[in-house]
Amino acid sequence: MDQNQKEETGMESLFAAWAKSVTNFWGDMTNMQFGGTAKPSDTSEKSRKDPIYQAQKNWETGTKVLQLLLSASGKPENINDVLKGMHSLPEFMMKMVQQSWDGYLELQKQWAEKAERIGQHTEAYNFEDIDQNIFKSWREIYEKEFQKILNIPQLGLTRFQQERMNQFVDKYNVFYASLNEFIYMFYVPIEKSSAVMQEKIEEMAEQGEIHDNLKDYYNMWIKILEGHYMTLLKSPEYTQVMDKTVDSLVQYRKAKDEVMYDILQQFPVPTNKDMDELYKDLYLLKKKVRELSKTVKT
Amino acid sequence: MSQPKIAVDLILKKLAETTEQVKTRAQKASEVLLGPLETDLSTTPYEVVYEEDRIKLKYYRPTEIKQKYPLLVVYALINRETMLDLQPGRSVVQTFLDNGIEVYMIDWGYPTRKDQYLTIDDHVDGYMDNVVDFIRDKHNLPKINLMGICMGGAFSVMYSALYPEKIKNLVTTVTPTNFDTDKGLLHIWMKQTDAYLMGNSYGNMPGDLMNLGFLLLNPARLILDKYVGFFENMDNKAFVENFVRMEKWIFDSPDVPAATFQQFITDCYKKNLLIQSKMELSGRRVELKNITMPILNFYGEYDHLVPPQACELLTQKVGAEDTEDICLKTGHIGIYVSSSCQKEFAPKIVKWLREREGEVRPGTKEQATFPNSVKDKIGKKTSDASKNKGRKNIELVLSNKRSRKKAKSVSPKK
Repeated sequence: MDQNQKEETGMESLFAAWAKSVTNFWGDMTNMQFGGTAKPSDTSEKSRKDPIYQAQKNWETGTKVLQLLLSASGKPENINDVLKGMHSLPEFMMKMVQQSWDGYLELQKQWAEKAERIGQHTEAYNFEDIDQNIFKSWREIYEKEFQKILNIPQLGLTRFQQERMNQFVDKYNVFYASLNEFIYMFYVPIEKSSAVMQEKIEEMAEQGEIHDNLKDYYNMWIKILEGHYMTLLKSPEYTQVMDKTVDSLVQYRKAKDEVMYDILQQFPVPTNKDMDELYKDLYLLKKKVRELSKTVKT
Repeated sequence: MSQPKIAVDLILKKLAETTEQVKTRAQKASEVLLGPLETDLSTTPYEVVYEEDRIKLKYYRPTEIKQKYPLLVVYALINRETMLDLQPGRSVVQTFLDNGIEVYMIDWGYPTRKDQYLTIDDHVDGYMDNVVDFIRDKHNLPKINLMGICMGGAFSVMYSALYPEKIKNLVTTVTPTNFDTDKGLLHIWMKQTDAYLMGNSYGNMPGDLMNLGFLLLNPARLILDKYVGFFENMDNKAFVENFVRMEKWIFDSPDVPAATFQQFITDCYKKNLLIQSKMELSGRRVELKNITMPILNFYGEYDHLVPPQACELLTQKVGAEDTEDICLKTGHIGIYVSSSCQKEFAPKIVKWLREREGEVRPGTKEQATFPNSVKDKIGKKTSDASKNKGRKNIELVLSNKRSRKKAKSVSPKK
């Protein structure tokens, strides 16, 4: 018998003992009497209609099923299967945790790299090296690890509502990620302008050209900033990020509205969806009336 | 190693002075801001003479009517027509009234969700046509003068092409008609915008969202520097009043009906149908060659929303022979509100319309009513221009060779 087999045998006996004690515990719990109620053996009509009696019966049924499951899983022939299932659960959990952890480490690595770059020479009016990797990484991690969970097909009576709720959460996450990227992009010219300005002041100081009027520096900075923004706003990178943000905003609003309609359906109020249909009818009717009036006039 | 020569004592002295100035300014500013301020817009009296759904027709009556043909002003659906009557002394409407022109102005109102299905067809072939017919009936005239502003200018071009028999003269100001240009960020961005997605999600295109987009066209100036300027001048009552008026106007931004927004972005910005005479409204082709009435086309050289490239092609594409392009050295809004343009823009329109009414022949000494200072300026400019043929005027610039050629045929064929 090798080491693995020994460990498994140990685990099996441990599990069997645990299953037995839990079965006994639930056995005692099954016999627990609800306060002031008739005994289950009392089968008279009056007793059977008593709500506490009914609750007791339900309790007994539930615990008996649990007892059965536990005692069955404690049997030697079933222990192996149960343990296999239990083994796979931590594996699944470990995999999830590991992937998330890897993603986090990757992000942290990029933050560190970005921090390293701060203070390096800044080239004015150049946006080709915008560090968007951090957002790209987040998006990739989100799409790979989390978005899939939100897209798991839902089951049962409320599957559509649940699906819409998941979509709402998903679109919210995507929108906020895009918005952060968009805001970051708007921050880049400020960072760059400040760095360029610093270099300019250093140059001026070396040449002894320091102005005594602070407004001059402000004017210089705002001009540099304006130039940076103009370059950024014309760049395809900006247009791409802007489109993505607007698109994710629209998707998020749509998903939010769908959830809102589900909630509002429970109240005696018309939703935008209901009103839009009405407005469309009204619009078409008015148009028709106008056309007819014109025809009558001519 | 060279030592930096920094006059630290001077800098510190200046800093102390600036701190003192800021303190004094803050004291004065609190008096200004806490005191009564005159910040009302659109104070010229008017009467609402026609209403249909959300739209209203404003009628401004001059003290003495000097022109036979009234002028209908069509503003854009973005922002409001109050800009033409921003404040006393800076009012395009007031200049028209002082010169005896009866002015009608469409107030497009504030679209609600119910208006989301209204298309450009409904605005141009519906509301505008009804308003024009109302004015024609009221004055018992077959034609009226039409002036369009920005998107309202594009509507006016479309209308004039559909109903040339109802329009005597057409004035377009900062009017985009050629959308196939990469000058101006709006043209670049709009080509990427999924207007249908936006419209379907919001019902109408929110004015605040559009305003945010306009602010992002130049964030350093419009979000930052503008307010730095305000803080530097907030002890100046007149400055504060003007600033607040502009703020009120800029952020008074009605939503745009979704269907109109979608149609404008798709047909104009993306497909550029209008200038090619390929646009269709109510099943009818908007044929620019149908525009045979005289056209005066204004635009701003530094307009970042509707650049000259978007405006100047119109006069070449229309059927009219009497056309004039005028490019002012200003931006999109400056045409209507800047002090220098106040003296050129509206008086020029008055003069141009009067010349085409038969009251004043071009080239005669009789002029529209200009303030004395402006009269001198314009008179001087005209003579300078005649002396230096082909040389660009300092403030009033004809946009390019083509327009100069066109401008030769300014005299109406009568």
